[in-house]
This record gives sequence, structure tokens and C-alpha cells, in this order.
Amino acid sequence: MPTITEDCIDGFQQYYARPLERPKKKSFKQMIYDDEDNSYFGRTIDSWAKIGTFYFAFYGVLGALVAICMWAFFQTLDPRIPKWTLDSSIIGTNPGLGFRPLPPVDNVESTLIWYKGTQHENYKHWTDSLDDFLAVYKVPGLTPGRGQNIYNCDYNQPPPKGQVCDVDIKSWSPCTKENNYSYHKSSPCIFLKLNKIYDWRPDFYNSSQDLPAAMPENLKTYIADIEKKEAHKLNTIWVSCEGENPADQENIGPVNYLPIRGFPGYFYPYQNSEGYLSPLVAVHFQRPKRGIIINIECKAWARNIVHDRKERIGSVHYELLID
Amino acid sequence: MSVQLTRADSYRVATVIATDDDNRTADGHFKSRRKMPAKAAKKENLDDLKQELDIDHHKISPEDLYQRFQTHPENGLSHAKAKENLERDGPNALTPPKQTPEWVKFCKNLFGGFAMLLWIGAILCFVAYSIQATTSEEPADDNLYLGIVLSAVVIVTGIFSYYQESKSSKIMESFKNMVPQFATVIREGEKLTLRAEDLVLGDVVEVKFGDRIPADIRIIEARNFKVDNSSLTGESEPQSRGAEFTHENPLETKNLAFFSTNAVEGTAKGVVISCGDHTVMGRIAGLASGLDTGETPIAKEIHHFIHLITGVAVFLGVTFFVIAFILGYHWLDAVIFLIGIIVANVPEGLLATVTVCLTLTAKRMASKNCLVKNLEAVETLGSTSTICSDKTGTLTQNRMTVAHMWFDNQIIEADTTEDQSGVQYDRTSPGFKALSRIATLCNRAEFKGGQDGVPILKKEVSGDASEAALLKCMELALGDVMNIRKRNRKIAEVPFNSTNKYQVSIHETEDTNDPRYLLVMKGAPERILERCSTIFINGKEKVLDEEMKEAFNNAYMELGGLGERVLGFCDFMLPSDKYPTGYKFNTDDINFPIDNLRFVGLMSMIDPPRAAVPDAVAKCRSAGIKVIMVTGDHPITAKAIAKSVGIISEGNETIEDIAQRLNIPVSEVNPREAKAAVVHGAELRDVSSDQLDEILRYHTEIVFARTSPQQKLIIVEGCQRMGAIVAVTGDGVNDSPALKKADIGVAMGIAGSDVSKQAADMILLDDNFASIVTGVEEGRLIFDNLKKSIAYTLTSNIPEISPFLAFILCDIPLPLGTVTILCIDLGTDMVPAISLAYEHAEADIMKRPPRDPFNDKLVNSRLISMAYGQIGMIQAAAGFFVYFVIMAENGFLPMKLFGIRKMWDSKAVNDLTDSYGQEWTYRDRKTLEYTCHTAFFISIVVVQWADLIICKTRRNSIFHQGMRNWALNFGLVFETVLAAFLSYCPGMDKGLRMYPLKLVWWFPAIPFMLAIFVYDETRRFYLRRNPGGWLEQETYY
Repeated sequence: MPTITEDCIDGFQQYYARPLERPKKKSFKQMIYDDEDNSYFGRTIDSWAKIGTFYFAFYGVLGALVAICMWAFFQTLDPRIPKWTLDSSIIGTNPGLGFRPLPPVDNVESTLIWYKGTQHENYKHWTDSLDDFLAVYKVPGLTPGRGQNIYNCDYNQPPPKGQVCDVDIKSWSPCTKENNYSYHKSSPCIFLKLNKIYDWRPDFYNSSQDLPAAMPENLKTYIADIEKKEAHKLNTIWVSCEGENPADQENIGPVNYLPIRGFPGYFYPYQNSEGYLSPLVAVHFQRPKRGIIINIECKAWARNIVHDRKERIGSVHYELLID
Repeated sequence: MSVQLTRADSYRVATVIATDDDNRTADGHFKSRRKMPAKAAKKENLDDLKQELDIDHHKISPEDLYQRFQTHPENGLSHAKAKENLERDGPNALTPPKQTPEWVKFCKNLFGGFAMLLWIGAILCFVAYSIQATTSEEPADDNLYLGIVLSAVVIVTGIFSYYQESKSSKIMESFKNMVPQFATVIREGEKLTLRAEDLVLGDVVEVKFGDRIPADIRIIEARNFKVDNSSLTGESEPQSRGAEFTHENPLETKNLAFFSTNAVEGTAKGVVISCGDHTVMGRIAGLASGLDTGETPIAKEIHHFIHLITGVAVFLGVTFFVIAFILGYHWLDAVIFLIGIIVANVPEGLLATVTVCLTLTAKRMASKNCLVKNLEAVETLGSTSTICSDKTGTLTQNRMTVAHMWFDNQIIEADTTEDQSGVQYDRTSPGFKALSRIATLCNRAEFKGGQDGVPILKKEVSGDASEAALLKCMELALGDVMNIRKRNRKIAEVPFNSTNKYQVSIHETEDTNDPRYLLVMKGAPERILERCSTIFINGKEKVLDEEMKEAFNNAYMELGGLGERVLGFCDFMLPSDKYPTGYKFNTDDINFPIDNLRFVGLMSMIDPPRAAVPDAVAKCRSAGIKVIMVTGDHPITAKAIAKSVGIISEGNETIEDIAQRLNIPVSEVNPREAKAAVVHGAELRDVSSDQLDEILRYHTEIVFARTSPQQKLIIVEGCQRMGAIVAVTGDGVNDSPALKKADIGVAMGIAGSDVSKQAADMILLDDNFASIVTGVEEGRLIFDNLKKSIAYTLTSNIPEISPFLAFILCDIPLPLGTVTILCIDLGTDMVPAISLAYEHAEADIMKRPPRDPFNDKLVNSRLISMAYGQIGMIQAAAGFFVYFVIMAENGFLPMKLFGIRKMWDSKAVNDLTDSYGQEWTYRDRKTLEYTCHTAFFISIVVVQWADLIICKTRRNSIFHQGMRNWALNFGLVFETVLAAFLSYCPGMDKGLRMYPLKLVWWFPAIPFMLAIFVYDETRRFYLRRNPGGWLEQETYY
């Protein structure tokens, strides 16, 4: 049994014997290839191979772990029904609006519809983009699953489960492809659609007696009118488009909504049925003032749609400029 | 002086003042003494300071001296001359060193380290914001907000480190305090009391006991004058000073007294020969403050690490900036990417974590009697590979103690231990009785009053150290010494002086029947023996023949060889016929016999080693630390102590020992054969630095004896040249340059002078060498724990950076935002990282060699490879998995996300379609994105649980280490609670863009957490199984 001192001395001799070695400073060239120990970037080929294999295996196993987790996770998803819907989902229950045509893709931050009224070349982008957007409405075959299950819906005929409603494109006239969506006449058509939210059911303003104060007067009269003439059509999500500022409101001119001023209620709820297409409202600006930017805000009206201009909920904003 | 002088000489000229006009410029104006030569000369000045003191004021005759200073011993200087000198030389005070202005220090903290990168990030944020503000109507204030947060982070951490730094040493302040306030000066024959600052060269000053010497003076008159030079030379005994020139060396000659030392006895008159910065003390102060201390090892490591991380950040930032351009991003987007990458790359909280860890250790060390002044020194002590230790007070008890006695022709060992636990000896033999009687009576030392409860050895004694040792020894052996002295009344006494080297006193005896007087004498053994004709052996008086003299010589040699101070004792009963009662003994003109006395014995004294020191030295050795003794003491004493504490281990021989054993001259011994060496200061004076290196390299056990402060400095530099990290202990002012130069200077809390405490980085509160070893242990532990802490913190960098890279390269919505990154770095990661400082050592850290400062880095490629390449990647996988889970559960399946970024981030797109046909407004998309950020953040917290646990150990299994670190367990709870708070606290969605998570979204990270744990346990299992194997070379950090 060595004493503690002997132990220490052994340790001492063993440890202190080595003189400290300062690492040599290497030149840049030596860092890439050092012929002294035949190393590239500080490692020999052998060493690179070993560390490479190690990391290859490591990331292989890690990749496999991710793959297993992903696979297991996907087992919990339904291909047609989102895992979380409505309030349990982040999408919530307050749909926004969308408009078409959109500005070119490389100008994705913009919401300005800008063209020169009379030149075909100039408004070609907008009409082409509308052509593309509306193609699925014209040719049912373009939408997977659309065709067999189209149902002729009406306010008193909601579609049965699995069936989808048809969107009548002829009622949009003069906002049709043949008429260049009226762009050449400097009275462009803008198409509006309500954002789809799975299983969202609107709470309609179906009585002219109970309309919010913020609703534009012309919409109020329109609703009252409908109430009188076609009361069954009251279950509609109403739409209004107005200039944002007083100046815009003057410049905007008369606005016509086609086919009716809103989205018929029988399209709701959206349940991701095959072939479902959103109802559209074509907004026809009949005499917008030229050469000036008009800020337009379109709102969808239902009791359970809240509007916020800054957050762009329940509404959509775009600008129109016709030279 | 008309001799042409070179610039390098200017300093010496200023020191060795000859006449009054050599400092004038050509046009007759006085040059300012304070104006230092240009920078080029600065280095030379420093070297000049390192030279031994070289003056001749003590050698010349007094008349020449008066001539040189144009002064007069009685009348002093004229007022006019004094004024002239004062104007020329400036006040007699030490120049404070040039200090870095506080604002510069503050700015260094504000812009050093990672701060620069973060500033760039903050500025980029502001630039991006101002551009957005000018081009867009409703600018997102994210960038403004982030810029403010980043600036706040930098400023707060800057103030934090500035605060830590401002506590650091202010060496000159204590020098200022040392300047005496007033001095008595003779000018134009009048005695004046002046402020000491007003003294000038040539002034005649009077000094009395209790004063501080006001400047360096040459003594021209002295009465029983003694000074305490301990603060200057380390010599603890008061030294007598007089007018006579006794030694070439100015420090040893009797006719010089030095600035700021204390007069303890008598009075003196002297001529001021140098003042202010040119005094010996001033030169040492200048030496200490002029030394470039260099960076501490930990500072080097941290810089190394900062460079590494900054390099990675800049590389990634620039690369992706360029890639973003190539991919056609808008330049403003590219700038925002750059900000994100910088923020993700910089571990914002890490430097603060390191500081806190060091502070914690410093506190722990303070509780173990190591007071650390400079935080970084905590770790320096841990990397120490050489300790240059003082002898007196550090290794020894600083208390002369009787170690051996020789009587009845045998050597008896006395007990020198602090607690009297050693062997006892026979106290009844007549030899001991006779010897103890002399030691008791021929002794002027007395215990100071009011120390009743104090153990005898610790009592304070007035009188000289050897007499005190005898007094204590006798008090222990016989009991009440004062009473014995009372019973044997002292009649006459001749005190010790350096010419006769003995001390004699004559007493009445306590035996009332015996009218004879007793004469007792002690002194230098050979002188005592000369005066003896008989010797007292075994109760009989024998003739002192050659045989006995031989025996005496052997004993004397043996005790002397042990490094002990030997005293001889003899007595004589004065015959009552010649010296009857009432005889008038005359001590000036000796009228009693002081020859043909009876020799009784020898006693030898030594300052014995402290009890804990041998173990501590042994511990140092097992820890691979070289212990070098540097002392002003005699080589023999030094060697004896070195042997007794184990600095020179048993069986190791010096060159001289080998020569003696083989009976050959020293010059024939191969120096390499000797492991041990005792080097005399005088030899060292002639050694070149190469030779010194050789000594330090080839001898593992070295003792430097009779060294001067300058030599101590040279030794420290020599050790540093060899790559060692050197700790130096010291207590005197003379040690302060070495303390400053050392990587870590250790001052003594009890015996140390203020200056040495100021120059040191650490103070031993109990003056005990053993405390250094505890310090080393703590220092090593904190280095290990800092590694763990950094490994832990750096790991989360990968899950922070990778979202940005994926964002740019895959065009997916951003998985983790910059604010959430800051929440990790400055929030959840902080407490766990700090808690690792409390981790216990994995193995006996004192059984391994000191850190190799060149190759064993705090942050090495293996640590980076582990943190970034392995654990970090698993964490990133966890984060992305959670991200994809939340996106998919809300409607965006992974495939849908790739390439969607532009649409996703565009405010213009109010109807983005997901995989289930739902259309998302901008606001809802962003809420989803921020929820993903929160979830990614939570998942990092979850995987960091496992990371924290695996970082507890570098080699051992966690099952072996246990979870007994409660700070760390608290850290685990803390980060979880904080994460939950950030996610669920109302208002966080507005403040930090953190959204509440569904409980199930905490779980997807758990498989990855387990993976980290299992992977690292397995890795460490193989590390332990194959020590030195490939895995260790690649992954053991």
C-alpha cells in the first residue's frame, strides 16, 4: 500500500514531466492542406471519413426519428376535416373577404388595381387573371370531384350532405369574359368572395328592423326592398363596397352588385365537400373617377362577422386607379 | 554636469542627483521632472527599474554628501535653495499612475464582446424601421421594438460588467496613504514642521520612534535608532541604523533609511537623498503599476470564444444576406434576415452567466478564506501550474520556536507544532535544569499584558524573536517564568550587541543559603564556547577537552544544517569570596569574569512550518502543480523548511547534495541529475534568462533563497516564459511587482501590507498556504462547470438559427421569432445555466494535471461539435416537429408550407387557402405563426430540460452523479414556470407576441427530449468504456 506521499510523487512525475507545447501557427495554405500530417482542413482523409460516417449515421437516426414522429402524427389527422375547427382553431369564426383580380405575383404586397382604360394590352393582366380565377366555375372538370355532386340549390333547397351548390356564372353579365369584365369601358368588375372557414355558419341579418347602425344606408334600403319583394332571399351574407374616405366615396361612383348583393346562405356551412366552390359577388364600378386612386373597402355583413379595418377582418381593402 | 547623456540614462540621472543644474534646459527653464521621456524610452525605463538599486549616496563621506546637496548638517538647506529644489523636483509624493478614464472603461464594456454585433443588429433594426416608416403608411413597429430591446440588452449587460470591473484594484491609493503627513526639518538652522510632500533633496530631517520615514535618508546621527523594514524587504525584525557605512548594497547598509518604513526605536537625523518617485518605495510602486499584467487565462478563453461565435455569426449572416439577394429577396428583407441571424447566433445572456458563475465561486472561496478581488482570478487559480510561495508566514507559522536543544551531549527535539501535540522530552535531568535556568534568566523578553486566555504560543511578546521563542519554550516547560525571574533577581546585565555577540546577566539565586551570584550568558555558540573551560554533562562538570569540542561542533553543525538559529548557553557561579553580596557590578567596564565559564548547552530555533502545509503541498503535487519557494531567508533555513513541508521531497538531492555524497566538486555534477535545486539570490544576479529557464525546466523542486524583490519578478517572468500559469504569494511591499506580474497574485490577509493587497488578485484571509489549494480546487471546478454551462447555452443556438435558415431557404412562414429567441437567451436559459456553477465535481479534480492553457480551451471544437452538431440538431428537429404539428392541426400540412412565405407575409393577401380549403386572413395567419413561435419556444424549453441534465456530467452517468444540485433542480422548475407564464399570461400576445398553447402542444417535443437523454447517456457510457477512444477524441469537451 503506497503512502499518500508516494502516490502524489508518482502523480507529480507523471504529470509535470511534459513540457507545455504551444500549438504551431499555421499558414492559410496549411489550413487547407498540411503535408506534414497529410491533412485537409485539419483532418486526415481517414479522420474525415470516420467523422463523416459518424454524422451520417447520427443524422440518419435523427431523420428516422423525425419520420416516425411525423408518420405517427399524420395517423391522427383526417384528410377532409381539420383537427381543430372554428373557435378551437386559430382561424376562429370571423371570416375575411377576398377580391379578384389580384395584382401580379411579383408585387404581392400591393392591392392596387391599376390600368389604362382603353388599351387591351394594359388591362390584359387583370382580365387574364380573372379568366384563370373563373375557369373552375366555367368548367366543372377542373375542380376535382365537381360534376356528379352538383346540386341545384336555392334558399329553400339547401344541398344535402356531400352535394355542392352550383354558382351561376351567367347572372354576372356584364361582368363576363366576353365583355372583358367591362374593363375596356373603364368600369371594371371586381369579384368578391367570403373566406371559407370549415363548418362556419352565418347568422344572417334577415330583418330590416334589426340592422346595425354602421351598415351603409343603401344596403339597408336594399335589404328592406328584398324583405318586401323576395323575403326568402333574406338569408344572405350582405356585401357593401364603399370608398374609405369621403373623397373616395365621391370618386367611387355608382356600384352594382351581381348577381345579388351578397352571398346566398345556402352555400354555408363549408364542409370541405369535394367540388365545393365559393359563391362570388361581382362588384361593378360603373363610373369610377379616372386618374385618381380610390381606396375601396368591401365588407361582408352578418351578425357574427365583426369588422376591423386595420386588422382586415370581415372586410377587404383594395385601391382602384384607372388612367 | 557637462557630460553628454543618452536618453536611457535620463532616469538614472534623475535618481542619482549630483548637482542642481543638470535638469535645466538650454534657455534656463526648469524641466519638469514629471515629463516622462517619449514612449520609446518607456520600456527602457521599466527595465531600468528592474535593475538592482544602484546608488552611491551611502558610500561617500558625509562631507561629500553635504557638498553634493549643498546642505549643512546643523543648519540644513536655505529656504531659497529648498524652494528651488521643490520647483525642480516637484513634491515628495508618488505620482499616481495614469488611469483610464471611467467613460473609456464604460465604453469598452458597452462595445466589447458581443456588444458590437448586437449594436449592429439594433442599428439595422432602426434603419429597417425608418425605411418602413417612410415608405409605408402603417409601418409594422416590430423592428423598432426589436431595436429597442437589443439596445437595452447591450446597455444592461454593459452596465453589469462595468459595475463588476469598477470594483477592481486601485493600487496607487494605498501608496498615497502611506506618505507621512508631517516631518521635522531643519532649514537655515531652524526646526520646522513641514508637510512631508514639501521635503526636498538635501533637507536635514529628524526622525524619532513611531514616525514614518518621510523620504529616503542618509543617516548622519543616530541614537539607538531602529527601523522596521518589513514592508520593503520582508525582513520582520527591526534593524538598527546608524551613521556608519556597512554594506555596498544600499538596502543592507546601516546608514540609509527608506521612505515609508517605520522607525520603531530611538531617534536619528539624516539628509534626504531621494524623494517621491525616486525613492526605493517609489521605484517599487512604479514597477508594480508599470507592469503589463496581461489578460487572465479566462479572459483569453472568453475572447477566443467570442471570436469563434462572432466568426460564425458574421459568416452565416453575410452568406445568407448574399443568398437572400440571389434568391431575389428585397434588400430590406435581406437586412431583416441578417438581424435575425445575428440575434440567433449571439448567446446574449452568456457573458452575464459567466460573470455570475464566477461571482458565485468567488463567494464560496471567500467563505474558505480566499478573498478574490478580481473575478477572473477565480479561474486563474484553477489553471495555475506553478506556485511561487513565500516562506515566512505562508508556509511557516511566522513565529520563532525552539526546535532543538543540545545538552548532556545529546540532541533533544522540542515540540514545534501549533497545538503542542508533538513529542515531549525529559524535563528533570540536571542538564535541562541548568540550560532552562539560563534561558529563563538571560532573557529580556516579556509577555505583553492582558493575554490571560491566549495559549502560550500565541501570546504576544515584547522583545526580539529568538528571546520570545526561548521565553515561550520555558513558559511551557517550567511554568510561570516571570515568577522565576522574580525569585532570581537580576543584578546586572550586558545586552546583546553585534560586536561581542553575547548577552550576560548576573542574578541572585533563589537558593537563600547560597550567597553566590549566578552569571548567565547566551550568544553565538562559537563565541560562547571560546569563553568556556568546562562543560556540564550529566550533572557533572567536566573539562572542555578536544573530544567535547568535537561533540559540540557536530551538534552545532547538525542544528545549523537544519536551518535553525543556534544559541549557546553557559553559566558560572561567581565565588562569594571575590564577589560578595552587594558587590557593585559594572557593565560598562566589566569587573567580573566572562571567561572560563561552564558551558551548558545549545538551543536552536526555527520558524516551523504550519501544520496543514505539508498536506497542501502534497495535494499540489498530485494536482501537477509545481511549488517553488522564493524567500529572502538563508538558503539553509529555506532548504530545511522546503524539506519539512515537502517542497523538496524525500530522496531528492540538490547538486550540492550529490557532490557531497559522491565526494566530488560541485562543478563536476551534471546539473540534470539533480531534481532539486537551491538557488542563492547572489547566483541569480549573474544568471541570464536562458540559464534561468534551464534551472526552471530541469529542476522540479526549486528553492530560491536570499532573493530581492526584483529577482522575484524575474523568477515569475521565467516561469511564465515556460508557459506556466503562475501564482505568487507575498506580503511585503517588495512583493507587489511580482504579485502584479503573476497571473494571480496572492496577498496575505493578516501579515500583508496594504500595497501587496492592492497589487494582488486574491487575499488569503488566514495567511495559510493550504487555503490556496482549496482555491485551486474551486478554480478547477468552475472551469469545468463553465464548460458545462456554455455547452448548455450554446446548444439552444441551433434551434434558434435554423428557423431563420429554413425561412430563407424553404420559404416557409418563420418558425421562431427574434423576440422569442431573446426570451430563451435572456429568460429561460439563464437560471439553469447559472445553476450549473453549483454542480459538484465528477471525479477528484485534484488528481489530474493543471489545464494546458494552449490546448485545453474553454470552448473547443468538440464542445461546438456536441452542442451545435449533435444535441442542437436534435433540439432543432424537436422545434420543427412542433411547428409542423401546429401548422398541420390548424390546416396547413407541411407540403403546403414550402414556398408559401411571400403570400403568407403579405398584408395584401387576405384569403390564403390552407390544405383544407379554409381561407385565412392576414391577422389569423399571423396569430397562427406567433402561436408556432410560442410552441417552438416551449419545445426548446422542453428539450433544454434534457440538455441541462446531460450537461451536469461530462463523463459520468447521471445516475452516478445524482440530482442533488438543488439550484439546478430549481432551474428546471424555473424555466418551465417562466415559459408557461410567457405563454399563458394575458397580455403577452400584445407585448411579446406569445400566445397560449393547447396543452397537447407541449408533448410533441418529448420524444426528442428523451432522444437527447438516451443519446448522451449512451455516448458517455462508451466514453467510460473506452477511455481515450475515438468517441472521446471527437466528443469529450
